[in-house]
Amino acid sequence: MLTMTNISKVYRSEMVQTHALRDFNLQVNEGEFIAVTGPSGSGKTTFLNIAGMLETYTSGTYQLDDVDVGRLSDNGRAELRNQKIGFIFQGFNLIPDLNLYENVEVPLRYRGIKAAERKRRIERCLEQVGLGARAKHLPAQLSGGQQQRVAIARALAGEPRFLLADEPTGNLDSLMARQVMELLENINKDGATIIMVTHDPELARRAERNIQVVDGQICDFKLYQGGLEKQRAGAEA
Amino acid sequence: MFVHYIDLGWRSLKRTPVVSLLMLLAIAIGIGITMTSLSVYHMMSVNPMPHKNDQLFAVQLRTMDQGVDWWTPDDLPFQLTYQDAMNLRKSPVPFRQAAMLKTGFGVKPANPDISPFIETARAADSDFFAMYEVPFAYGAPWDKAVDLQGEAVAVIGAELNQKLFGGGNNIGKDIVLDSVSYRIIGILKAWKLEPQIYDLNNGAWGQNEQLFIPFSLLPIQELKSWGNNNGWKYEEQKTYQDKLNSEVLWLQYKVELADKQAQQDYRDYLAGYIKEQQQLGRFQRDDAEGDIKNIAQWLDYRQIVSDDNKILVGLSFMFLAVCLANILSLLLAKFLKRAPEIGVRRALGASKTQVFAQHLVEVGMLGLAGGALGLVIAQLGLYLLRSGFSRYEAVAQMDLAMWLAAPTISLLACLLAGCYPAWKVCRTTPALYLKTQ
Repeated sequence: MLTMTNISKVYRSEMVQTHALRDFNLQVNEGEFIAVTGPSGSGKTTFLNIAGMLETYTSGTYQLDDVDVGRLSDNGRAELRNQKIGFIFQGFNLIPDLNLYENVEVPLRYRGIKAAERKRRIERCLEQVGLGARAKHLPAQLSGGQQQRVAIARALAGEPRFLLADEPTGNLDSLMARQVMELLENINKDGATIIMVTHDPELARRAERNIQVVDGQICDFKLYQGGLEKQRAGAEA
Repeated sequence: MFVHYIDLGWRSLKRTPVVSLLMLLAIAIGIGITMTSLSVYHMMSVNPMPHKNDQLFAVQLRTMDQGVDWWTPDDLPFQLTYQDAMNLRKSPVPFRQAAMLKTGFGVKPANPDISPFIETARAADSDFFAMYEVPFAYGAPWDKAVDLQGEAVAVIGAELNQKLFGGGNNIGKDIVLDSVSYRIIGILKAWKLEPQIYDLNNGAWGQNEQLFIPFSLLPIQELKSWGNNNGWKYEEQKTYQDKLNSEVLWLQYKVELADKQAQQDYRDYLAGYIKEQQQLGRFQRDDAEGDIKNIAQWLDYRQIVSDDNKILVGLSFMFLAVCLANILSLLLAKFLKRAPEIGVRRALGASKTQVFAQHLVEVGMLGLAGGALGLVIAQLGLYLLRSGFSRYEAVAQMDLAMWLAAPTISLLACLLAGCYPAWKVCRTTPALYLKTQ
């Protein structure tokens, strides 16, 4: 589903070159829940941005559902991103002067979905995250946890195959973080593939697969038992 | 999506009311000033009969003695002598032709309730009406025979007809001009020809005459010129006939030529006429010649639009450019401040084209609103011009073209100013802002 081969990303300035990713290889299968951990500055977010086509890479190949991302134009990447990928950010990134309904509507508008279908999806997704009754509220009227749930609803509304979450619980207290994590697990059970960057080892342990990134490279693979069993069971089925 | 962009644009403008107001005022003032000067320029330079531009010609003859200069660039006077007008009338080349003169009368109305009044008039040949497409409500111009022998008939305008008779068909009634009774044979519909291309000597702007009589009455009634009389040598004029025989330039002469061949034929005719007159002892100069100028050439030649007006238009466009430069910097600051939101939109699937279009629509809304407000300012400017300077009364107006030009110029100018900020913001790297929000 997602295959990165020898991906490298170099940031160049006049004085220095910074290798954010080097020879980064990864294959992600459909339905996986992957946690990406690593120290600050290790390249986690760069990896996530490249996976989400928010940044281009310097070398290597990246295939998403058999589409060679490197060959796509900016508009092509935007279209693919809009159709296949949902984002959840640490800072929620809701648009402050749009109400919850309108925030969730943003990716659907860019996809050209008709108004009736948009309405159906938005109401369903807001219900799913428990905020159906607050559709007309502005983000500033919600708590951090609620805002993150709106962000999740926004990501879900496009019915993405991939959900990329960059420290989704980073700005939340432990109770809110647990709720958000449970929500992500439910979404994963419904079939979405999730890649989550996190600093929290406890949250990472709840994922099926844990990738550690150090100095722009994957240094270790930890396949948790539960995840293994689940994969095997899926393969046998 | 376009409607959605309008919604986003409206929200964005409301979100920063002070900046939006500043930009709106900048474009509105720029457009207001530009449209004020442009409207005056446009009204002054407008060709009132573009469809006849290459058919109607003013006739000029360089007839002065050797060593006498005229003040025109080509040394050709604007008007003709009576002798020349009468001679040129015999030419078979023009499809239509008219000698004419601005004159005037004391009018004594038949209705005793109306006091006598002074009325300007035009003495012209009958072709005048067809040449300048003067519309008749009742009756028709006088016959060609009247152009030759003279008859006390008159064509009156709609306004004069209203004033004298309260409107309606008054063909056959008499009008008394300077104690002479004229039979009314034609009544015009409301009519306006500005600039008054048939006689630019006596003011290009203002109301067209309401009273027309045959040019052939000139020697019979000894009609006085109410326009310019240009003499270039001393001539004793004791009688009216002396004036008719003089070299005083006081008549306008226009011809309608069907095509290019007719134009060439008429130029040849004028050259032949000059030669003939030289042989008769007139036109004693080496470079005596005739010329014809079409409507556009005539308007330009007579400098209906002065250089001052042209400079003013240039300056007003420069002022608009300054306003746009200010708008550009305000837009740039405003749009770049919004880069984090654009980052989110890009992450959620907006293409660069969509982001660019969203911002251009916002700028376009600003342009249209600025254009509308600019129209109000322009109307105020034109009103002040009309009130302060009587000579601008006729030209400090906006026609439909200018009403449409204001929002169009404003829209295009704003889109031009908005292109760079919109391009800049659509190139936002989304990843740069997503982490920092």
